[in-house]
Amino acid sequence: MKKVTTPRISQLLFLALFLVLFLATEYRGSDRIVAAVNGFFRANPLTAASTMLAARSYLPLLLPGLIVLVAALFLGRFFCGWICPLGTILDLVTGRIRKVGAIRALTGRAKYWLLLPLLSSSLLGVNLAGLLDPIALLLRALTFFFHPLFGDTVRGGWRSLYGLMGERRDLLDPGYRLLRDYLLPFRETLYPLAFFSALLFVLILFLERYERRAWCRRLCPLGTLLGLVSRLGPLRRTPAKLCADCRACRERCPTSFDQELLQTEECILCMECALHCPSRRVRFRFAGPRPQVGPVMERRVFLGGVVGGVVLARGFRFRDPAAQAKLLRPPGVRDEDEFLKKCVRCGECMKVCLRSALYPAFFQAGAEGLYTPLLLPRLGYCEYNCTLCGQVCPTGAIPDLPREEKQRQVIGKAAFDKNHCLPFAKRIDCIVCEEHCPIPGKAIRSERVELTGFDGVKRTVQQPYVVDELCNGCGICENVCPLEGKAAIEVFRVKDRTPLTPSSPAAPPPGDSYTDPYAGNS
Amino acid sequence: MERRQFIKVLGLSSLFLHGWLRDLFAAQGPVVAVAQGTDHAGITRKALSALGGMQRFVKPGQTVVVKPNIGWDRTPEYAATTNPVVVRTLVEECLKAGAKKVKVFDRTCNDPRRCYASSGIEAALKGMKNVEVKHLEEERFKNVALNGKVLKEWELYGEAVSADVYINVPVAKHHGLSRLTLGMKNVMGIMGGNRGSIHKNIDQALADVNAAFRPHLTLIDATRILTAHGPQGGNLADVKVLNQVIASTDIVAADAYATTLFGLKPADIAVTRAAYRRGLGEMNLDRMRIVRV
Ligand code: SF4
Ligand code: SF4
Repeated sequence: MKKVTTPRISQLLFLALFLVLFLATEYRGSDRIVAAVNGFFRANPLTAASTMLAARSYLPLLLPGLIVLVAALFLGRFFCGWICPLGTILDLVTGRIRKVGAIRALTGRAKYWLLLPLLSSSLLGVNLAGLLDPIALLLRALTFFFHPLFGDTVRGGWRSLYGLMGERRDLLDPGYRLLRDYLLPFRETLYPLAFFSALLFVLILFLERYERRAWCRRLCPLGTLLGLVSRLGPLRRTPAKLCADCRACRERCPTSFDQELLQTEECILCMECALHCPSRRVRFRFAGPRPQVGPVMERRVFLGGVVGGVVLARGFRFRDPAAQAKLLRPPGVRDEDEFLKKCVRCGECMKVCLRSALYPAFFQAGAEGLYTPLLLPRLGYCEYNCTLCGQVCPTGAIPDLPREEKQRQVIGKAAFDKNHCLPFAKRIDCIVCEEHCPIPGKAIRSERVELTGFDGVKRTVQQPYVVDELCNGCGICENVCPLEGKAAIEVFRVKDRTPLTPSSPAAPPPGDSYTDPYAGNS
Repeated sequence: MERRQFIKVLGLSSLFLHGWLRDLFAAQGPVVAVAQGTDHAGITRKALSALGGMQRFVKPGQTVVVKPNIGWDRTPEYAATTNPVVVRTLVEECLKAGAKKVKVFDRTCNDPRRCYASSGIEAALKGMKNVEVKHLEEERFKNVALNGKVLKEWELYGEAVSADVYINVPVAKHHGLSRLTLGMKNVMGIMGGNRGSIHKNIDQALADVNAAFRPHLTLIDATRILTAHGPQGGNLADVKVLNQVIASTDIVAADAYATTLFGLKPADIAVTRAAYRRGLGEMNLDRMRIVRV
């Protein structure tokens, strides 16, 4: 075990905070969720930079990220050494992994080849940084893979316990309740891309085989951005070089001393060198002498990176028109392009969605939409009174709206498939969809029609229809349609997502007209 | 012949002789207690005592299930869910009668966490000793043979089936298909599986389940009723405040009486008709003893 040092304590505290916030990203009986749950993203400089570049405007939500960026100017990559939960996890496991030496291909300017295209494609309106952002990577691995897996295992065990003990299991219930209420995901959701998300995370761990913090120093776009900024700042380590008589730093330093000279843009301020310098020579000082180092990157890298971004931005634009019809975005998202600029693919909305309506897109939204949230009504629906996704979205890609306003946001419009719908196709009653439609005036109504059933019997059947002006596309109708597989009512994407008018006039009671309810009360 | 046996034979023959025997005993028809007043806890107690008090149903040491309607994510004033004051009063009475444990639950249509919270029922029962307000757990559903007309078997919630006493507490409201949802429809809350699929034959299906699973007491919350856009409403203009509760051991009779609150006749409701035809209870208002308190 490593020695307890201030940076290490800070790291562990932030990791704990990260996990607590992760678990807090869940409905717990209150309509508002603690604002801090997306704190790590709002304070993430890469998120801030890429999103503001893409949106070409200042987004106040992301001010903390800008502050961290400015802080990096003075304090270097302290974020990496003191805060980043992914870095902390790497520090925790790296000791157990034997090293075989750096990968040549990654040692040079590789990280700039990653960061620059990401930023320059942002400038062209394609915000891909979240794909490789360390916080997002970690959160997605947890959200899509590890947490559901954990939940499944524990719940499965609890279930089989019922099989074994029957009602006597109730004795253990208080213990399980604690676990369920604080640690398990409420729902058992399986996510697409779960395996891929976990794989990326494991790959990052795997890189530790080559050198310590390999991901952080060689690839991480967030770290690279912070490193770029810190080069310009006044904080300097003295001596800048390995001392000829000692060279102990080389062994101690996790990142920046694979050469003679300290690599400022890789130093994560872990202070290991200062704490362990046998002759107490090492100091971190402001406005120390600037070491003689070459340019950050050659012009070739810079230009190449920018051009790479253009290629990314254009090449990722292809979208399959057929997949578009069901491309439903979370409530409040009105413009697809604006959404893609702002969404950082953090997965917060999918984690919090209480009816498992939101899932990461694979290629439905084009390659540039990878990991952006999609609403899949057959798997879950948007709960009428819920506003959580807007609350946790760190960039405002999903706007945080008050309940009444969110209820009027149009996700899509529902339409019947009369070849499937029971009252039409089979001439029998159903209207489960009407029953569940949450709009107070009912966006699904039905009319009673006299029909001869296919069995030759005359009967009245209620045939449903959709009132477009009232439908907000929440998807509960598609979700609860009792047909197997494909539902007979489906929500489709619409271009015009103007919110419904505030006081949609209450419709007359569908079907029957009622007399005075007091009339029979003799 | 012992009294119990006599009653059994009576009951059985009424199945075969249809209304004939029932007419004969019209004077002794089921008691329907109707209590009115703005003190909802008070009227609940009054209705109970008109039936002989909770101790008639709950014996010391028994496990009781109180099954309100918590189906939708609405607050009580929308009349889509059972009034929490009524539920709490029932639970208190059960405990007073010596119940060992009272369980309160429902299979919800919207997110269970939201429904339990919004309905006010979770909060109303919070901190009460020996009272359990839990979400349903999938593994507790058990296949039950119904041998009905349309449903041969269905999954019912184990804790409901195994309870010593089952108290049914629906709210009276409009429904797009069955016109009203009352006592008999409330049983859907303990049904598992794809409930939507029974809609194609909902009156017979509900009669099937109610024939096999009979609550000991039905208390219909009509403190507020939803007159349109049911079953989940959402518009206060559709809500009427009636300040009534209706209690009976005869679920069909309770439903039949509650129907009149909507200006409808019991025979207008297909579920009630189907249940009556099968001898599950009385639906003719003049053949029940309506006790107003
Ligand atoms: S999609 Fe709907 S249900 Fe899901 S988090 Fe957003 S508002 Fe809530
Ligand atoms: S839309 Fe979802 S994935 Fe995208 S930034 Fe917002 S919370 Fe994160």
